[in-house]
This record gives sequence, C-alpha cells and structure tokens, in this order.
Amino acid sequence: MNAVYWSLTALLIMGHGDTLDRDEMIDFVMSCWDEEAGAFSAHPDHDVHLRSTLSAIQILSMQNALNRVDVDRVVKFYLSLQQPSGSFAGDAFGETDTRFLYCAVNALSLLGKLDKLDIQKTVAYIKRCRNFDGGFGAVAGAESHASRVFVCVAALAILDRLDEVDQPTLYWWLSERQLPNGGLNGRPEKLEDVCYSFWVSSALSILNKLTWIDSSKLEAFILSAQNTESGGIADRPGNMPDIFHTMFGLAGLSLLGYPALVDLDPVYCMPASIIENLGLRKGWKALQRRTS
Amino acid sequence: MDLPAEEEQPLYSQRPEWADVVPLEQYESVAPLAPIFYTDEYRDATNYFRGIVKSGEMSPRVLELTENIIRQNPGHYSAWQYRYKTLMALKSPLDDELQLMDELAIKHLKTYQVWHHRRLLVQQTRNPGPELEFIANSLQVDTKNYHTWSYRQWILAYFNDDALWSHELDFMESMLESDVRNNSAWHHRFFVVFQSGVRSGDEDRDAVVRRELAFVKERIAIAPNNASAWNYLRGVLDHTKISYCELQAFVLPYSLPQPPLGTPPEVVDLESPLPSKNSQLPCVAAVEFMADIHEAAGGGDLVKATEVGYVLYELGKYLTYRSFGNPWQMSTILYARDTGNTGSRNP
Repeated sequence: MNAVYWSLTALLIMGHGDTLDRDEMIDFVMSCWDEEAGAFSAHPDHDVHLRSTLSAIQILSMQNALNRVDVDRVVKFYLSLQQPSGSFAGDAFGETDTRFLYCAVNALSLLGKLDKLDIQKTVAYIKRCRNFDGGFGAVAGAESHASRVFVCVAALAILDRLDEVDQPTLYWWLSERQLPNGGLNGRPEKLEDVCYSFWVSSALSILNKLTWIDSSKLEAFILSAQNTESGGIADRPGNMPDIFHTMFGLAGLSLLGYPALVDLDPVYCMPASIIENLGLRKGWKALQRRTS
Repeated sequence: MDLPAEEEQPLYSQRPEWADVVPLEQYESVAPLAPIFYTDEYRDATNYFRGIVKSGEMSPRVLELTENIIRQNPGHYSAWQYRYKTLMALKSPLDDELQLMDELAIKHLKTYQVWHHRRLLVQQTRNPGPELEFIANSLQVDTKNYHTWSYRQWILAYFNDDALWSHELDFMESMLESDVRNNSAWHHRFFVVFQSGVRSGDEDRDAVVRRELAFVKERIAIAPNNASAWNYLRGVLDHTKISYCELQAFVLPYSLPQPPLGTPPEVVDLESPLPSKNSQLPCVAAVEFMADIHEAAGGGDLVKATEVGYVLYELGKYLTYRSFGNPWQMSTILYARDTGNTGSRNP
C-alpha cells in the first residue's frame, strides 16, 4: 500500500498521474480493506496498520475516490489507537511513535473529522517529544531526528499549533542538516540520504525558512543520486534506486522549485491543488518554481 | 532451541509433523500493482503461519515457526505479536526468550519490532539490570542506533530505580570517550541530567549545572568542531536561563583564526579551557555563538557585529548557504561584504 502511495504521488509530482490504471489501483486499495478491523492493511490478508490506512486514504483522495472510505469506522480505528499518554500506537502490536501520531492527524484531517480527536492531549504529547535542541524524537525522551521533526511539525501545522515549536532553535538545527556535499542528514554527524531532502525541506517550508539551506547544492545532490540506466533515485549517488527514495527525492525537488514539477503540499505530502480543494492548505512556503 | 542451518530445513509443506495444519495462501489479485518477490521458504512458512493463526494454535511448534519467519523477515509484526501471545499462553521461560532475542537484536538492530518485543518481555520479567549491559554491548556494534538508545531511555524511566540511573554518567562518559561527536550520547546525557527528575545526590542543581558546563567546555576544548557539544552547551544555558553573554570569555578564543599568544600551556583555566593544539580554527559554531552574544547584548555594537560578519564571510563554506534568520545578522554580513568595512581585522 505504501509503495502504491509513493508511486502515485511521485507520478503526480511529475504531472503523469494517469500512468497507472486508476480502477486497478482503487480495486487494489479496496482489497486491503479489513471489514472486521475497520481499517486498511498494507496488502490483502496482512494485519491492518494505521500507516497503510493513511496511505489508502491519501491514494483514494488523489484518485478522487474518497467516497469509497467507510469514514466512521476508520475514525473509530484511529481513535482506538491513541494511548493514555496522548501518543499513538501503529497497530495492535503496540509500538508507539510520533510517526503514527502524524498518520492519525493527517488521516482524520483528510476525512474532515479532526474534531473527533482530543487535540489538547495530542499536542501535549508532541510537546513532550520536543528536545533541548529544538527538534523532536519518536517518543518522549528520544533523540531529535529529522523524520520525527517533520511528523511533529506537520502534525502541529494541521492542528494550528505551530506555537509549540521553538522556532529559532529548530530552524538552526534543520539548516545544520546540510553537509558540504549538498545532501542532508537526519541528525548531527550522520550520513546524508536523499529522503531527508523531504523530511528537512518540508519542515523548513512549513516554518517558512526553506531559504536557510543551499537549494542549488541540495538539488545537485538529489539529481546525482539518479540512476541514468534504470531511472529512479537512490538514497545516495551510486546506490540502487527504489520507489521510496525516488518519491522523496522528487518531493524535495518540487519544494525546491525544480522546473516542470507540480506543487507539493509539504504538510500532507500530496499535490498542493488537492489539499487546497479540500480547504486544508496551511501557511507553508516552498521555493518559487523556476521556468528553466 | 537451535535451528539447523536454513539450507538443511525442509519446507513445512514437506514435514510430516505439520501435516495436520492447513496452509493458507496469501490472496493475490490478478495483476498486483506492487508485487513482493517472496522466496519459496518465506511463502511456505507464512502459509503455515496463516494456517495456525486461523486455527488459533499456540504451541511450541508455533514458537519454532514464528522464529523461522522472524529470521527471514524481522519486520513481520504479526508474527512477533502472535509469538508474544504464544509465549504468554505457554508460560514459556522468558529469560530463554531474551537470550534468543540477544542474538536477533544484534543481527537486526534497525528493526523496530525486535526492540518492542524486548520491551514487552522485560515488562513481564521485571529484571532490567541485565538489559543495560545488553544495550551497552549492542551499542558497541552500532553506537548511534536510534532504537537502542530509545530502549535504554525507556528502561531507565519505566523502572525508575536509582541503582539503574547511578551508572549513566559514567556510561555516557565512556561513549563520548570513544566518539566525542556521538549525538545520541549527548542527547542521552541531557535526558539523564535534566529531563528525568532529580535523584538523590543531585539535589544541588547549581552544582549540577556547574558540573555540566565544565564537562561540555572540556569536550569542546578537545574537539571544537562538534555540533553536538555546542548544541548541548546551548541546551544547558537555555534550560537554566543563563545568558549566553556569560560564556563570552570561554567562547571568544574559539571564534578567532589562531589561538591566543602568550598563554603558558601549563596554566589551564577550568572556567575557560582553550582550544586543544590541533584544533581547526575559527570554529564556526563559536562564531555563531559570538553573533548570538552580540545580539543578546543589544546589537548596537556595529564594529563588533561587522567583525563577526567578516569572519562568517571568510568561512565560505557556511556563508554560501546561510541567510541567517534574523535581519540583524544578515545586514551586518552584507554591510561587511559591501563596504569592505571589517573593523579592526585585516583581510
């Protein structure tokens, strides 16, 4: 399910949303619906998960088929995963992570049911995940990591609570992710990876500070991770491409204003026009799209 | 229970002792959009897994089956969950399970499920002591593993036993001794010292702050170009509401291109340890810190500000891709560049 979401979003960013058959895709998504659990799994016969449920909702939204979702049951599923602490588990296994909190907030927002969420409790938990360096971790007490900075900042944006971000400290921390080779890493002294082109750039866009990184250097880095024989983008130059890094590389390029790409909403990681039509656009700012 | 090497294992479909189980194929639509290339062994094992889940069987052979699946795919969270339920139903000895997990955790360090399963087990055994040792060992393999550090924090906070907390400072010192740039270790230190309550012996918070400031300054002196240490310093100051200006004497030497002359090397100022001999100066983080100090002091000191701006300009690596958040800093840099006014510094 996640692979389908990455593929569709990547194609839409490139303006080729019709490449994959719409009906087949919707059929696949619906074949992952678990009537008993009231949610979607990653593949037919797999256990349901809140992440695959979000991907399903995003795909159906992008395919203009959101009416296929049993909204009340999905809302019930998400709410059932919120823990007393305010964090969210991903599934019955019980692993909690701020990624899952973002999945819940994003999904409920797309379904127009954010009012069913205990927003106070959710925001209070995100606040507990905020660290001394301005960043956010996976759980309260965990180290700041760019991926969790994205999910927490994006969730706060959806909940209109960006006031909980220690903005100056966080912009600084995010801009420090850029390495001399132009790529971005996820925390200090770690290696660059193309996917951070999205996690970091989206967070900076939401905070209106995307100018704090060298966009031309980052672009050059992402483009150098392309595989010119098979196509696609890898995690770093010379490695095998995969759909995940292709998607997030393209997402980064879109935010950086790369020519001929479609605008992406960094909060929802979906085409900006779709989010605008749903009336969900927040005050983020990407770089101006260049004409050449 | 030791499994024989994988290549010697017959498929479950070929084992007579599994003949009573009805394997269930995974549903596959006619043209799967994102097909997963399963091996025969994986397909076979998961077919039998679906079979025993359907019948609700919880037996020793289910433990063998789930172990097989987990070894092939440590991310199969359903197999983990069912394994845990089976262990509980069978009242299996959890210390044996933890020992098995020791091996799997090292093999599959970056898998969430391995650590979450451990959490569930330790909540049952209520024996956290050996876990800290296990964590220390696994950190030798991967010093910055996010899950491992997070698990350590969970153990400490969940059991909240003074005896467990008491070794943490030593543990972190040793981690930083091996790699002073280990951001996870610095984060953990902040967690232990400032974000997990006050334990006996640390009630004098002023003494704790003095200790931490001395610790981080010493580490900065050893290796100044270390973002984690500077973040830690700023974190301590922000948390205790100490003004950045109070650190000026310490930070200044790090923001200059060469070490100060005329200082006898035997005299070590503990309040303001100097950069170690082979440090690369100026240290960018120190220059940024000085800029923040000048801003905090009122920002009207234009000569000082342009001097800072010029040093930043020279540090080409940074200035080519920074536009600095506050207009004050940006304007001083532009002023320095445009007018060539570098205050007292020679170009």
